[in-house]
Amino acid sequence: MKVSKLPKANVNKFLESLQDFGEVIIPKEKQEQPGVYMFDTMTDPSEVAWEYLRTIIPPKKYLTKPKEVIFKFDSQRGFEEVIEDAEQKRVLFGLHPCDIHGIKILDVVFTHQYTDPYYTRRRNNTVIIGLSCIPDEKCFCKSMHTDYTEDGFDLALSDIGDGYLVAIGTSLGDDLVAERADLFTEVEETDRRKYLDFRKKRNQSFKLDLDIDDLPYILDLEQHSPIWDELGKRCLTCGSCSMVCPTCYCFNVYDELNLDARSGRRIKQWDACLFKDYALVAGGHNFREDRAERVKNRYYHKQFRMVEQYGKPSCVGCGRCINACPAGIDVVEVLTKVREGSYAETESS
Amino acid sequence: MSKPKVGIFGLTSCAGDQLVILNCEDQLMELANAVDIRDWEMAKSQNDEECPLDIALVEGSVAQVRDIETVKKIRERSKILVALGTCAVWGGIPAMKNDVPREVMLEEVYGNDVRFIESKAAQPLSSFVKVDFNLPGCPIEKEEFLQMMASFLHGDIPEILNFSVCSECKMKENVCQIVYKNQVCCGPLTRAGCGARCPSHNVPCTGCHGPIEEVHYDSHIKMFQLKGIKPEEIVHKMQVYAAPAWMPEKLMEEMQHEGE
Repeated sequence: MKVSKLPKANVNKFLESLQDFGEVIIPKEKQEQPGVYMFDTMTDPSEVAWEYLRTIIPPKKYLTKPKEVIFKFDSQRGFEEVIEDAEQKRVLFGLHPCDIHGIKILDVVFTHQYTDPYYTRRRNNTVIIGLSCIPDEKCFCKSMHTDYTEDGFDLALSDIGDGYLVAIGTSLGDDLVAERADLFTEVEETDRRKYLDFRKKRNQSFKLDLDIDDLPYILDLEQHSPIWDELGKRCLTCGSCSMVCPTCYCFNVYDELNLDARSGRRIKQWDACLFKDYALVAGGHNFREDRAERVKNRYYHKQFRMVEQYGKPSCVGCGRCINACPAGIDVVEVLTKVREGSYAETESS
Repeated sequence: MSKPKVGIFGLTSCAGDQLVILNCEDQLMELANAVDIRDWEMAKSQNDEECPLDIALVEGSVAQVRDIETVKKIRERSKILVALGTCAVWGGIPAMKNDVPREVMLEEVYGNDVRFIESKAAQPLSSFVKVDFNLPGCPIEKEEFLQMMASFLHGDIPEILNFSVCSECKMKENVCQIVYKNQVCCGPLTRAGCGARCPSHNVPCTGCHGPIEEVHYDSHIKMFQLKGIKPEEIVHKMQVYAAPAWMPEKLMEEMQHEGE
């Protein structure tokens, strides 16, 4: 992988130059609540919250929108496909490794076996620029093996004090650097040493640990663990965890009609498996009527079925769900308890 | 196809939901063309008070004795009866103090001598007649109302969102009133549709749409208690808009049980 260096004095100029490519999305601090961040359009490079850790909603909102029109219809004229932002070129700047892994998982879901044209069009117009971070007590990406990434980005910046080491991941990323070659410098031996020091410091900063070895097997054994019922009693099924999850991709499709009752719009909107209507089918049958079943399903989908289907779990350890749950449910705590319960059973039998 | 005959009525209420209909300014002409509004006291001077109706939209709660007869009569002449707004769906603000005897309240508000209304404990329409569709909101949301009407016109059963305000609030990327501000926010219990309007203005949800279909009292009690919020405070807030639905006695019972 080609690596270059961007001195901090040149960062703002580089950010401005990215606007030539398209809309630049950056992490910003919320004015009304210091310490809370969201991805938003950059109007000035000074708005970048360099020290941010996690935004309320992950960058998935630019690729699979909370609510979008997918086509318009009219009983006489047929339908007309709509892809919102189809031509909008975007730079998603400042994504941490967990969020890049989140997008890699969405790529698998939306572009592999069945191609979602809405996601794919926007994805193809998106540049991803990563940014290094220092974890807090809710980060467990290291446990999920998503704390580093060798791909899934066009450029990735690692903070080495006076500048950033810039890993170039794609030819488009290479072009973006070449375009402003005047802002970049050669990587020197001292820079490499600083990077290794940074890595060491970062690796030692993780406070939260989740053992995911053979977790799918343990979950298979613990299908009837009392933990799921306990969780069902605590969970409000408000869906906050799904909305903020970088890999929750479920959506509902429904029609909005005009008053002429012959034309309207088909809508695609974020949905969550925790909602009661999620598994409701024609005739009134509900495959997951019970709250505990719905909560359990969320865990099994991420840590069991995704591993079966795609070879890895669809949790990237970003800690957003821990942060967002009003009831204080903590995914690491839950899965640790499930494992402990499983071990205890084995010992007692 | 002939236009569906529509009647719009208000029982005991502030008329806010009917105002929302009148405020659909951009769609009002289209609506007036799509349906035949036969009976609407608030907006029309000539009304047919007897004709059969395809759709009756009824706002307000049953809070006066005469409301019972009114709503029964509307039911008899209508194919579809819609409870419009939180008062009609859940009892609304008039039901907030159903535990105080009406005589006490009447005296407090109007004094000793005045007796011009036969007031009773406020109840939702469904306590007296069959309701075909509930559209909650205080007031109703314009968009939800128009979607409901379009569905009826298309011959469909309308749908409303069956999840809580939290998801809309997250989509808006609001700062969570419960997690960050330790507020009694009714968001997790309350039906979405408002686009999380209050939390978007940094005010905790007051629950004006009434509860979601599956209210998890136990989870909420635990959640707020763990945050050191008194049960009375939670009940008080939950009772503002949909007191009959929150089942205050049962709620208090559960809370005491949880607290043990």
